Amino acid sequence: MLRKRLVTVLTINNGTLFRTKLFEPDYRYTHHFVDSWSVDEIVMLDVTRDAGADRKPFFDLVTSFAHDCFVPLAVGGGIRTLDDVSRYMAVGGDKVVVNTGAVDRPELITEIAKAYGTQCVVLSIDAKKNEAGDYEVFSAFGARPTGLDPAEWAMCGEELGAGEVLITSITRDGSLRGYDLELCKRVSDAVSVPVSVLGGAGAWKHFVEGFTGGGASAVCTQNIYHFTESSIQNAKKFLAQKGIEVRL
Amino acid sequence: MIGVIDYGLGNLTSVAGAVQKVGFEPVISSEATDLGRCEKLILPGVGAFGDGMRNLNDRGLVLPLTKMVMERRMPVLGICLGFQLLAKSSSEFGNNNGLGWLDARVSRLQPEDPALRIPHVGWNELYQKGDSILFDDIPELPLFYYVHSYKLETSAVETVIGECDYGGTFAAAIQSGSIFGTQFHPEKSQQHGLALLRNFLEKA
Repeated sequence: MLRKRLVTVLTINNGTLFRTKLFEPDYRYTHHFVDSWSVDEIVMLDVTRDAGADRKPFFDLVTSFAHDCFVPLAVGGGIRTLDDVSRYMAVGGDKVVVNTGAVDRPELITEIAKAYGTQCVVLSIDAKKNEAGDYEVFSAFGARPTGLDPAEWAMCGEELGAGEVLITSITRDGSLRGYDLELCKRVSDAVSVPVSVLGGAGAWKHFVEGFTGGGASAVCTQNIYHFTESSIQNAKKFLAQKGIEVRL
Repeated sequence: MIGVIDYGLGNLTSVAGAVQKVGFEPVISSEATDLGRCEKLILPGVGAFGDGMRNLNDRGLVLPLTKMVMERRMPVLGICLGFQLLAKSSSEFGNNNGLGWLDARVSRLQPEDPALRIPHVGWNELYQKGDSILFDDIPELPLFYYVHSYKLETSAVETVIGECDYGGTFAAAIQSGSIFGTQFHPEKSQQHGLALLRNFLEKA
C-alpha cells in the first residue's frame, strides 16, 4: 500500500536556511542539518525576495544537500522559464515547485510537463481568506491578490500538467495551530493528483488531521523541532498508532 | 566506470551521486564513444516517453546503445522513464516506439479504485518474484520511492522480478539477461535503493 508522506520544507533566504512565520523569515537555524534518513521527501525553496538576486548561494546549498540526499528533492523559487528548470535540475532537483511563475504565465506548467513529465511539476498555491471571507490565491510571497479561487486554480493547474499540488495557508504559516483543513480539503477534493499541505503544523496530531480531515497525500512541516532523527521517527510512530500507513 | 546516459531528461545528478555513494565512478555523457568505454550503463529518466526517444535519437544514441546492450551484452539498468524506454512502445501522448530491448509495452496506470490518485507518488512495497541478484541483502517487502503515471507490461512474465500494487499490480522490476529495470527510483529510496544499486554495479 502506498504510504502517506511526511515532507520537510526548507526555506532559504540569500543562501541561509530560515523558518518563516506569516511568510516572513523568523529565525536563523543554528544547524544546517536535515535528517534525510527518516523523512520521506525534502522540498527546498529559495524565498529570497529580490527578483534580481544572485541564486548561486541557493544553488550551492542545494548541491551540498543533494549530494547526500537519497530521498526525493523538490526545488523551487523564482522559476519563470524552462531554462530556470534545467538549472534547478542540474544542481540535484528531482522535481520543481512553481508558484508565482505559474500564476503569471500558466503555460509554464505545460512547458515543464512536456519537457520533464507531469510528475516533475509541483504547483504550489499560497492562499488565505480575503476581506470578503473567501479563499483567494496570493502570489509573490503572499503579497499579491490574484482573484483566483484555490480549488479552481488547482484544477486548472492539473489540466495544464501539474503532477502534484502543494497548498499552503498563509495565515497558518508558523502559527503551530494546525493546518487549514478546510482549504486543504477543498483543494484535494478538486483534483485527482496528490496534494501536500503546508502551514501551521505544531503537533503530531496536526499531521493526522492533514491526512484525515484535509485529504492530503503528504503533510509538510518546516518547523525546527521536527528536524532531528528522533522527532521524525516519533512523529511517524504516532501516525502509525493512529492508523495512518507511513514508512517507519 | 559507470556510464550515466545523458539524454537531456532527468535527475542525472541524483543518479550519479548515488553511484558515487556506493563506491563507483559515474560518467555522465551523451557521447556514444564515452559510454562504450564504460563497464555498465544506467539509463535514468524523468519525463515523457516521446521526448525521451526523440532526445536519444537526436543525440544519435539509439543504434550505438542498442549494439552495446544487445550485442556486447553490456549490463544496463533503466530507471523510471529509462525503464519504460526499454519497451517496444508506449501509449503516452500518442503512440511512440521505444528502444525495444524488452518485449513489453507501456500504458497508463489505471487503478481499480478511482480514489487512488495519479501520478502514483511515494513509497510503496515491492513484492519480489523469483531470485535476482538485484535484491541480495534486501529484506522482504522493501519500500521504494515511485513517481509515475504509466506502467510497463510484458508477456514475458518470467522476467518480472518484482511487482508493486497500486489498485492492481504492475511490473516494478525486470531482469532479462543483462538488462535490468526498475519503475521505482533506487537513487531516491535510501538504504534499500542504494543496496539495489550496489548489487547491480557489483554483480550484474
